[in-house]
Amino acid sequence: MKLMEHEAKAVFAENGIPVPKGVVVRSLDDLAGALADLPGEFVLKAQVDVGGRGKAGGIRMADRATGVAIATELFAKDIRGCPVREILAEERLLITHEYYASISVDRSTKGALILFADEGGVDIEALARDRPGAVRRAALPPVISRIPSFMERDLVGAAPKEIGQVLQKLYQVFLRKDAMLAEINPLVTTASGVFAADAKLVIDDNALKRQGITLNRELSPREREAEKHGFSYVELDGSIGVIGNGAGLTMATLDLIGFYGGKAANFLDVGGGADQERVKYAVTLVAGVPGVKVIIVNLLGGITRCDDVARGIIEAGVVQPVIVRLAGTNEAEGRALLAAKGYRMLDSMEEAVDAAVEATR
Amino acid sequence: MIYADRTAGIIVTGATGKQGAFHIALMNEYARSVGGTGVVAGVTPGKGGQEIHGVPVYNTVREALCSHDASVGVIFVPGSAAGDSVMEVSAAGIPLAVVITEHIPVHDTMKAVAFARLKGCDVIGPNCPGLLSPGEIKLGIMPAHLFSPGPVGVISRSGTLTYEIVDELTRAGLGQSSVIGIGGDPVIGQTFTDVLSRFGNDDATRAVVLIGEVGGSLEEEGAASTDLPIVAYIAGISAPPEKRMGHAGAIIEGGEGDARSKILRLKKRGVPVAGRPSEIPGLIRDLI
Repeated sequence: MKLMEHEAKAVFAENGIPVPKGVVVRSLDDLAGALADLPGEFVLKAQVDVGGRGKAGGIRMADRATGVAIATELFAKDIRGCPVREILAEERLLITHEYYASISVDRSTKGALILFADEGGVDIEALARDRPGAVRRAALPPVISRIPSFMERDLVGAAPKEIGQVLQKLYQVFLRKDAMLAEINPLVTTASGVFAADAKLVIDDNALKRQGITLNRELSPREREAEKHGFSYVELDGSIGVIGNGAGLTMATLDLIGFYGGKAANFLDVGGGADQERVKYAVTLVAGVPGVKVIIVNLLGGITRCDDVARGIIEAGVVQPVIVRLAGTNEAEGRALLAAKGYRMLDSMEEAVDAAVEATR
Repeated sequence: MIYADRTAGIIVTGATGKQGAFHIALMNEYARSVGGTGVVAGVTPGKGGQEIHGVPVYNTVREALCSHDASVGVIFVPGSAAGDSVMEVSAAGIPLAVVITEHIPVHDTMKAVAFARLKGCDVIGPNCPGLLSPGEIKLGIMPAHLFSPGPVGVISRSGTLTYEIVDELTRAGLGQSSVIGIGGDPVIGQTFTDVLSRFGNDDATRAVVLIGEVGGSLEEEGAASTDLPIVAYIAGISAPPEKRMGHAGAIIEGGEGDARSKILRLKKRGVPVAGRPSEIPGLIRDLI
């Protein structure tokens, strides 16, 4: 889960990384009340979870005279589909130099990957592509509790020693917070010191509980329902509802729908143990996705009981046609139950997908 | 075969849980059918002295090893304690840990895999269905009835999609040497590269099916590391960016790891890529 900038900055500050003085406001009254504590000139930053926020007009310079008017505009804005509910009002930094620093989980080395560049405020992927020499990198197994001094020197080069200290603290944040990514872009120097001018922190979803972190965005009613039943659920914008077991098989079902010229309305992985109740909930949920004209259920498992699954589908009793591909035990019983109620059960996933796409034409 | 043969004794950790107990029975059923050793002991702290489907349960792995020979640990311990279980298995000197558990925090996986490497233990998974070498050994939860022995190796980040493709191969008369699920998490122990090097030294394997998905670049790295004939399939060509598609590791991030660019890079290396699962048997047949 990606934290908002102000949440990430609070974590950084707790761990000794200097951040600009600032305050989070959720209304114009909040801002009016905070004005006296802010410096004469400040920055208003919309707290939204989208990239390219600056370019989309989500970051604005302001002062005591213009602050409320500019905040009014920001609160009314929709930044790349995201409404603005919070604004971070922050002291304006007089920057002398910008750097880039990040630490992420690296699949290839199975450990931490530390990146550092003498240029900040940049698109790091583009920089690495265009001028590979400009981005320095080091892999470190996270069983090492501190970045070794030689590695710190190699990474920061000629940057001031405070920059190296911030990098060390960023590594501590990475370790302590179960981070997938801890990034400062830009990490800046000013006449008064070093600051994390921006902050990005992505926490491992599987560690939210032990980190005591609750979800920072509102789930839609369908997402909430999916979470309650332990389904993996992503909403798309087509007309074919998709239910599968296993992430790979469900993705492959989506891809086949595209192959046959259709469009999936969602991704729903029921996970292990596709029993009667879970299948009933899944079918009901997907039938409620706007625009769904037909539903495909693609379940393959050694131990999945097809008769149970068939009962779940029948019990859901949705208005849309349901096309079923089932492989497991008691296949004949499942097929008979479905056939008696007019549902189609097909032998292969390609036949089932083909039939589902045909049904939307 | 790769990693283990039928003589390997298996210890199951998390043995008294619903999943652990259920799959002890199925692994032993398979072992009996091929004349293998099977599961010799289970481990659950505090449950020592019980029996699960006739298999004795111990409090610790070390204790189990006092009375039994084992060279594989299969881990069913829940997410928060699974990293610990990997370390326990490797500290006891067992050279292979197969981690079925899903939802292990990534930092736990990184630490456990690093620890296991120090102890000389290979880790398969986490969040994987395990390994099945038809006619030889089953480690994990794969449905054995879909498999048949033969010359095709299969490596996959997925579970049920692997069964789907194994079923296609079997129906097409193409048996498998070993089928291995390496796991759907961002950080995993054995990668495509590691498993391909095992298949490279395995006389029974003549071609390999590589089943990948969106996220990361382990598929391309694997294909670049081997001279074996490979056919690839990549799931997630319709996956939107920045959305997690079921697996913790199946996510296109920062414009990296999307299916199209993976497929393009594999094709550039001369690897045939199937557009759908049913094309795989034909492409494999062209290679062997």
